[in-house]
Amino acid sequence: MNLRRLYMVLAVLLVVWVLLPIFLIATLAFSDRPSVFAWPKGLLPQQFSLETISFFFGVEGVWRAIRNSLAVAAMTLVFSVLLGAPAGYALARYRFAGADAYRLLILMTRAFPLAILAIPLAVRFIQLGIYDTLLGVALVHTALALPFAVLVTSSLFLSIPKELEEAAWTLGCNRLQAFLRVVLPLALPGLAATAIFAFVISWNEVFAATLLTLRERTLPAFLLTSLNDSPLPFRFAGGFFLIVPALVFIFVIRRYLFTLWGIASR
Amino acid sequence: MRTERYLPYALIAPSVLFLLFFFAWPLLEALLLSVRGGGGGWTLENFQRMAADLYFKDALKYTLLLALVVVPLQVVLALGMAMLLGGLSRGRDLFLYVWTIPLGISDLAAGIVWLAIFTERGYLNSLLQALGLIEQPQLWLSYETPWMIFLAVVAAEVWRATAIVFVILVAGLQLIPKEYSEAAEVFGATPWQRFWRVTLPLLKPSLQVALILRTILALEVFAVVVALGGRNLPVLAGEAYYWYNAYQNPGVAAAYAVVVLGISVLATLVYLRLMRPRQEEAA
Amino acid sequence: MASIRVENVEKTFGRFKALNGVSLEVRDQEFVVLLGPSGCGKTTLLRIIAGLEQADKGRVWIGDRDVTLLPPRARRIAMVFQNYAVFPHLTVYENIAFGLRMQKVSPEKLKANVERAAALMHIENLLGRYPAQLSGGQRQRVAVARALAVEPEVLLMDEPLSNLDALLRLEMRAELKRLLAESRTTTLYVTHDQVEAMSLADRIAVMNAGAIVQYDTPMRVYQEPASVFVGGFIGSPPMNFLRLRVEGQRVRLGSLDLEPPAEVGAEVLLGVRPEDLEVYPAEQPQSFAAQVLVVEPLGPHLLLTLNFAGQAFKATVPPDFPAAAGQTLWLRPQPSRLRWLEPGSGRAFATG
Repeated sequence: MNLRRLYMVLAVLLVVWVLLPIFLIATLAFSDRPSVFAWPKGLLPQQFSLETISFFFGVEGVWRAIRNSLAVAAMTLVFSVLLGAPAGYALARYRFAGADAYRLLILMTRAFPLAILAIPLAVRFIQLGIYDTLLGVALVHTALALPFAVLVTSSLFLSIPKELEEAAWTLGCNRLQAFLRVVLPLALPGLAATAIFAFVISWNEVFAATLLTLRERTLPAFLLTSLNDSPLPFRFAGGFFLIVPALVFIFVIRRYLFTLWGIASR
Repeated sequence: MRTERYLPYALIAPSVLFLLFFFAWPLLEALLLSVRGGGGGWTLENFQRMAADLYFKDALKYTLLLALVVVPLQVVLALGMAMLLGGLSRGRDLFLYVWTIPLGISDLAAGIVWLAIFTERGYLNSLLQALGLIEQPQLWLSYETPWMIFLAVVAAEVWRATAIVFVILVAGLQLIPKEYSEAAEVFGATPWQRFWRVTLPLLKPSLQVALILRTILALEVFAVVVALGGRNLPVLAGEAYYWYNAYQNPGVAAAYAVVVLGISVLATLVYLRLMRPRQEEAA
Repeated sequence: MASIRVENVEKTFGRFKALNGVSLEVRDQEFVVLLGPSGCGKTTLLRIIAGLEQADKGRVWIGDRDVTLLPPRARRIAMVFQNYAVFPHLTVYENIAFGLRMQKVSPEKLKANVERAAALMHIENLLGRYPAQLSGGQRQRVAVARALAVEPEVLLMDEPLSNLDALLRLEMRAELKRLLAESRTTTLYVTHDQVEAMSLADRIAVMNAGAIVQYDTPMRVYQEPASVFVGGFIGSPPMNFLRLRVEGQRVRLGSLDLEPPAEVGAEVLLGVRPEDLEVYPAEQPQSFAAQVLVVEPLGPHLLLTLNFAGQAFKATVPPDFPAAAGQTLWLRPQPSRLRWLEPGSGRAFATG
């Protein structure tokens, strides 16, 4: 019985460890300027104020960076699902020569720090005329998200019995009809989770985004490049705003967390 | 029906082409870029400039140290959390959700969050003052105290990225049939023995994946460090960024990238070799 | 409704030869069961007929159409899968209507067919439900109704009862028999359960190692197995095979003097079913003696394992028969139920 209680105490401590820093940054983001600079600080917020947050959104370029981030993440989402899902389907449904080599290629991308590859790409992007464009950033982010999309959708399609598709064929469907009428409706929640995951990967990525842009900054790139010459309230509000979508997304896809990370990691 | 045979290739082709262009090719390009001189010939100039740079030795040292400190901490903590989760009788779903929240948080955001704690008028100093340990705010994140920056980075990284290891391990644990542990229990193994002799060896594949993934991400560490210490705690990825952005020198930046790549590949190979599955486990 | 004709079909998976030149004819309105152990190729054969697999060689006809190269949707078949394959995202009604919608039949016909199929399977009250709300047996009914609703020329069933528990399987078996006798749809049914095969089939095609080893009515397959494999696979307990010496065209078994077929060699296998052995506690003329090794009371009868000259075999006796391990009993096979087989190939000699 005491052991159970100890477990519970430890579990709650871990919850505090995870949530306290988020709570603190939220507190700072929603207080006025003097409280941000106050010392010593109490744990609880002094007074609720939108001053810091509105100051953040008032800074020139912030809105544009947010818009850019959303656009890049949306493109990444579309690209990785459109490129990844067919490959995942092929891996799940067919045994073909080269399947293992392909799987290896996908797994190999993990053994390399992909964001670093933004350096040679930046040089090439300048030549191609897509340097400092949202498309360029989205392409690199797709390279980051694609391996996940392939592995996740492959396990997703694997979990939909092949017999369902076969039954549809015997009942008069061609391949495409069977996919659209039977597989797609069943795969949709998982595909949505995959898409959201790709979105988060892009939303959070900073190295490549910073390297590949000058004016068309995404939010993390904008924050990073202005860190040194921006006041603390701006940074705190920015940090908090970066976290918010992540919290929502993780909540939405929590059911698929293990498919996404667990199975994707085999 | 004979077209069937080509269908899977048609399905993987777009992603193969994409990965060739955005993964395989830049990989090669990074190598080429790092050994190509201004005149176009082959040269080690970029590597020499990199090695001669003031920041290089520190960047290498801190990057490796960070990986060496952060990754084991995360694995041990995540393993503890995964075992703890199995021992909980109530609220498992809730704990699972909260513990995995950091999965969605970016390194930059994590750096800023911990900046709020370690900054001069931050929560750490407030706490120390409340405990009566200090009277005036201490400056922790300055170039005079790189070890304090290091500590802050470790805290931020452990806070942010333990969740990834945790999820991989929990997923791995779910694949281990309960019967093994139960059989060991029937034969009189204590919980401690069951963990070391049954669970941990069976968890090896997941541990391997988690170690490789986390080590590579740790070697790329960048935004957390920039947010907490600027260039006061140099790291390899950060140097690559400065050389590319501030010094406008893609060659040296590529050399840094190649160093990170090299260490990553080496680390992966070491893990694969050290944790090679034995025959009986493969069966 | 139509016949099925399979000619010389071969199929290889990697190095594994799944089908070894199989030919089979199913008559119009006939119920044929493909019976065999797992890995014998029966499901592969069914899937080739359905169009879900491509044969490497050989042809498949349904009626007078050569369907060898047609995709499943063009073959006018319906199939019931082992795991039912009921679409989880559709209601029972929509599941049954699925094939009809693909055929774009009129709304009136669609409704009529769905309702008739549902009525046949007694699931009219479940039409609005989703599969997740159904039991295994109910899902099975939906799968069959869905197949019948499209009025296929040929109905293919792949171990449709094997996922049901024993009691339900018994019930569904009888129901399927009634249903298909009524609808008179040509049916090819795959199973590894010999009782199921015996109970349902007009004819049984017994398969082993990628070939059909016997194709006949259930009773003939049971009583006149074409080989040691068939005799051993069908019947529980299986047929006994005693290896006996042939001397001067005669075989002596205790005080029995038997005449084997003319073409025997130096040894012969005598096949006899356990229930075809008369058992006596005391010595009898025209019998052979054997020692009881094990007595297993099975309810309706006792199952004896006996030893005759170092060969173990089984016999069944009424439950009140006085038998104990170690005892000697005298046995006499029913002369009309003897089966002679060739020891080397395991094949039965042609009976006169």
